[in-house]
Amino acid sequence: MTELETVLATLHRTASAMAADARPPARIRLGASGVTLEWDLVPASAALAAPTAAAARAAPPAFDDAAVPVPTAVVPAPVPVAGGAPVAAAVASPPAQHTLTAPTVGVFYRAPEPGAAPFVDIGELVAPGQQVGIVEAMKLMIPVEADRGGRLVEVLCTDATAVEFGAPLFALAAE
Amino acid sequence: MHTVLIANRGEIALRVLRTCREMGLRTVAVFSTADEGSAVVREADESVRIGPGPARRSYNHIPAVIEAARMTGADAIHPGYGFLSENPDFAEVCAAEGITFVGPPPQVMERLGDKASARAAMVAAGLPLLPGSTDAIDDPDAAKALADEIGYPVIIKAVAGGGGRGMAVVREAGAFADAYRRTRAGAAAAFGDGRVYVERYLDSARHVEIQVLCDAHGDGVHLGARDCSVQRRHQKLVEETPAPGLSIQTQHAIGAEAVRAVLSVGYEGAGTVEMLVDPAGGHYFMEVNCRLQVEHPVTEMVTGIDLVAEQLRVAMGEPLRFTQNDIRFDGVAVECRINAEDPLRDFAPTPGLLDAVELPGGPFVRVDTHIAAGRRIPPEYDSLLAKVVVWGPDRDTALRRMDRALAETHIRGERIATTAAFLRGVLAEPDFRAGRHDTGLLERMRDRAVGGVPA
Repeated sequence: MTELETVLATLHRTASAMAADARPPARIRLGASGVTLEWDLVPASAALAAPTAAAARAAPPAFDDAAVPVPTAVVPAPVPVAGGAPVAAAVASPPAQHTLTAPTVGVFYRAPEPGAAPFVDIGELVAPGQQVGIVEAMKLMIPVEADRGGRLVEVLCTDATAVEFGAPLFALAAE
Repeated sequence: MHTVLIANRGEIALRVLRTCREMGLRTVAVFSTADEGSAVVREADESVRIGPGPARRSYNHIPAVIEAARMTGADAIHPGYGFLSENPDFAEVCAAEGITFVGPPPQVMERLGDKASARAAMVAAGLPLLPGSTDAIDDPDAAKALADEIGYPVIIKAVAGGGGRGMAVVREAGAFADAYRRTRAGAAAAFGDGRVYVERYLDSARHVEIQVLCDAHGDGVHLGARDCSVQRRHQKLVEETPAPGLSIQTQHAIGAEAVRAVLSVGYEGAGTVEMLVDPAGGHYFMEVNCRLQVEHPVTEMVTGIDLVAEQLRVAMGEPLRFTQNDIRFDGVAVECRINAEDPLRDFAPTPGLLDAVELPGGPFVRVDTHIAAGRRIPPEYDSLLAKVVVWGPDRDTALRRMDRALAETHIRGERIATTAAFLRGVLAEPDFRAGRHDTGLLERMRDRAVGGVPA
């Protein structure tokens, strides 16, 4: 690894760690050995043009590349590089969006029980396999688990509402 | 009853929806991701995606179907055929949820679904059985002794079997012990129930079935006999009513017997009593199907009775609106099943994308189908594409009409083959034309290497 690559890798790692913080900064600017990394983080509200929880029941699934034959395209997030520092683009790839969908038809809940804190809140980092919600079907509590990791940027379905199989529930931004 | 959830897919879901609509009932379609945008989903008042392609997570998944009923306010579920239609647990859950299951009571389904208890119930009701054990027979020596007494060939059948699986024909005493052991082991593995029974096997027999309809007040009628002898590995391809080669008096006598038998176990709704008829005209009980049958349209064509409408009325608790004497049987109806199967490759299923679909029409032709050009035939489900049904005042006219209708049928798509041309070959068989065919017809055709060509 060249010295430049080592510096870039270190800067990227540091920036990623900062971005993964519970309250990520809107902008990161790091410099070392004459190299500057500038990174504008995408605010959660602007990140998505994904369907909302109000989407019609029979509407095509938003995104579930595991089970849905014709997934609609996910809108790419704005390029996270700003400030005209071309070197940064080579390091920070654009975070992709991923939608977590309902594992069955039923009633969607964000929290383990009424009144409890939700499994996960906007801005929090979700690990692959982590439970993020429940869909109740005939008194069976079926966990909604993240099939990959990412930061929760939007809740796409209202708590305690009926959902179809494959209904979009959460939008995650890749880390 | 105001809203009916149709717990099925394909042509039968659309067929049930049509009657619901004619009766002013609201409809809910459920669908898997493999059936997005299907005809029944487009036509239904509401639709719910209940799971992914595999049926065990969608059409066979009881919690998903019940949730869909709950979220749409459906107060009745019509199960169609296959999937959950003969599942007593599902019928029980419906009852517990306050949803009307369109079918017989769960305990009746349970009793008739087990072949051993069904045989015991039907023999008690006076239906003739082929010589054999009336119950499961668990001792190999006793089974062998019974087979020797019946005389060979015999058939060993799994109590829990069905759809042509879990059975073995034994042609000589020396082969019995091995076949008995293998059938038991196979049944235990396939159905979780290794019990088997033994009965005489008929090499040359006709498959004749009686359509019955019973209300919840102890009344029942039969709607005639269908012949379903054109079978490939116990899968029906051509069905007709009335049954050729059986006098109308005989068909009515067997029908009356079947009605008495099912009423004796508290049957409600539409059902089918399957029989084998030997060349001498003797008839023997096989099984009861506690649901609407794929081939029910031929019965509708000659009686003018909408079986789905009658199922729904019975489920609403209404008494039958006709007695046996009110039912008129008019002419002959024939059904051919157009399947996405390749007759040249031993009827291997051919799922794929449909490019062109031209279906027959014209006088006295009914086509029950869900397909259209641009639709995909998913590999997850059965291969039935369309049922072509024709009516004629007599059998010869009906068969000519069917041949004409099949000739009008053009279904094309990449890698897709159909049984349409093959079925024209069946219609042209002298034995079939003469109405003296039996369940061995297709095997004899194959032995003579008379194959079909892909449509």
